[in-house]
Amino acid sequence: MGMAITSAQNKAAVDAAVAAVMDRFGGTGIEATSVEHSTGKHASFLRIISPPRQWLGLAKFLRFDLGVNHCSMVTGTHFPDGAEERGWEVAYHFMRMPVKNQASGACVEHDAATLTGLEIPLEVEIFIPLAKGDSPVVDSIQSIWVGADWNEKETWDLVGIEFKGHKDMMRVLNPHDSPLGFHPLQKQHKLRYHDYNEMYDDAQGFERKPTDSGLVK
Amino acid sequence: MAQMWITMGPQHPMTHGLWTLRVKVDGETVVDTEPELGYIHRGVEKICESRDFTQIVPYCDRLCYASAMTWAHSYCYAVEDLLEVDVPERAEYVRLIAVEMQRIASHLMWLGAYTPDVGNLTVFVWCLRDREMFLDLMQELGGSRMHYNFPRPGGIKRDIPPGFANRARAKIALFLERMKEYEMLLDESTIFLVRTQGVGYAKAEEMVNAGVTGPNVRAAGVNYDVRWAHPYSVYDEVDWTSSVEKPSSVKGADCYDRYRVRMTEMEESCRMIIDALDKIPGGSDTTYQSGDEKIIAKVPSRAPEGATGHHHFEDSRGESMFYLQGGGEGRGKYPYRVSIRSPMFITIPFVAETMIGYKIADIPAIMGSFDPCIGETDR
Repeated sequence: MGMAITSAQNKAAVDAAVAAVMDRFGGTGIEATSVEHSTGKHASFLRIISPPRQWLGLAKFLRFDLGVNHCSMVTGTHFPDGAEERGWEVAYHFMRMPVKNQASGACVEHDAATLTGLEIPLEVEIFIPLAKGDSPVVDSIQSIWVGADWNEKETWDLVGIEFKGHKDMMRVLNPHDSPLGFHPLQKQHKLRYHDYNEMYDDAQGFERKPTDSGLVK
Repeated sequence: MAQMWITMGPQHPMTHGLWTLRVKVDGETVVDTEPELGYIHRGVEKICESRDFTQIVPYCDRLCYASAMTWAHSYCYAVEDLLEVDVPERAEYVRLIAVEMQRIASHLMWLGAYTPDVGNLTVFVWCLRDREMFLDLMQELGGSRMHYNFPRPGGIKRDIPPGFANRARAKIALFLERMKEYEMLLDESTIFLVRTQGVGYAKAEEMVNAGVTGPNVRAAGVNYDVRWAHPYSVYDEVDWTSSVEKPSSVKGADCYDRYRVRMTEMEESCRMIIDALDKIPGGSDTTYQSGDEKIIAKVPSRAPEGATGHHHFEDSRGESMFYLQGGGEGRGKYPYRVSIRSPMFITIPFVAETMIGYKIADIPAIMGSFDPCIGETDR
């Protein structure tokens, strides 16, 4: 039988993390909750919604007090039709892994059942809503997790969210000479196939007008 | 000595795809590197915003041609989290079998691509020969040879066909014999050992902090695997252990360790498939009709307003992940945002820094040992 973290361990780790975050940041606008995945083993994870001004302090707390050592993904979403205080949202996904450097010829054979406290793997999801506007800005966490470096580059490149304090920001997936301010995952950019504007936005053709006949494949 | 920049790629045997590594050398020693990505950026995330949840599956297949099955499954688990669907147990078993077969095929593709880099062309031909056995098995499931379009949100497209289990067992028995041949050929080849041992050291903690995951971290003596740390599917019910390699130095894992960990991982995958075929509910010699509730659950076509779903998944190259936002203003059946975490996108900049201090001739050995795949990197 393969080993696995039990749901009791998982719940205990998430509840402890929620308590730690709320204990430290209660009353600052940061909300930490324990959320269940809605499929599979229904494992829990830690979800935090934080205002942008608290983000750097929260990130350091996660890294150095809760042992969250792996930045899995940074990504952003554009909500042009959203509320005034949530025109953009940055989503972070972190993991805590029980990882230690090993001596020569040594390895650690974890027994999942014996892991306790900060050794239990933890999944963290963080949402940072940003106000509407042309230049959403959030603090960079490049200096805390090296892995966030290229994730932030990608998020700026594709979504257009700026990361304050990021050194060496550049285009990574789009061409280096893309026009300034061009970020294709913003919602004002529609998918086009040559001149057939609605080909992808209305793939099933339900909103096609009679005047479009011949234009839309 | 005068320093100069050398551009390796986009067409270079080292790159294993289309990307450029700019290397600053001092004599033969690498002193600085700059990776450049994005040559085959297709905008998959944007395209997925105008596809419904089932139509996205083939796009996920095409993220990585060497590991299509794992990427499609990675997406399906995330979309099930978004749509709040529980997958039938038999479907989970078939998925596990499919994913582990793909892991073997992907590692064989890696070994086949890596050994010519370090001077052994024979293994390339052998690997592709044995990979074909697993591609044939997966073709029985999905219908095509490399892009299977096999899993569906909520389950699987088809059940395992009659006779599949026997063929899988026979092929795995043969493959396990052939693994010994690989080991005899590689572990006793002076050329292979000289090229891989003692180069490309990487420490576990640094790798995790830099976002490197999967076999590359397990090679450094750390047993970390999403399959047991964040359990999904039925990995807790079948017989396996996470493969982990003892690093040969305090400096971390070298290229040889990363080769060894993938070899043991292939053996573990074989063990898992055999055990899953024995334990599958309903029996491995039964075939249910497509659409049967034992292999696919009913799935809503629209996501709840404002719902999000994500799932961490152990891909052949590390931890992959999909993050989905459903519904939204007039989005209908389309997701509002799809974002993809590619393990290699984060790993390549790390590897580029790892090379600093080694000789320029070590670059193919170091780069190849991390198993780069540019299709998923550029998306």
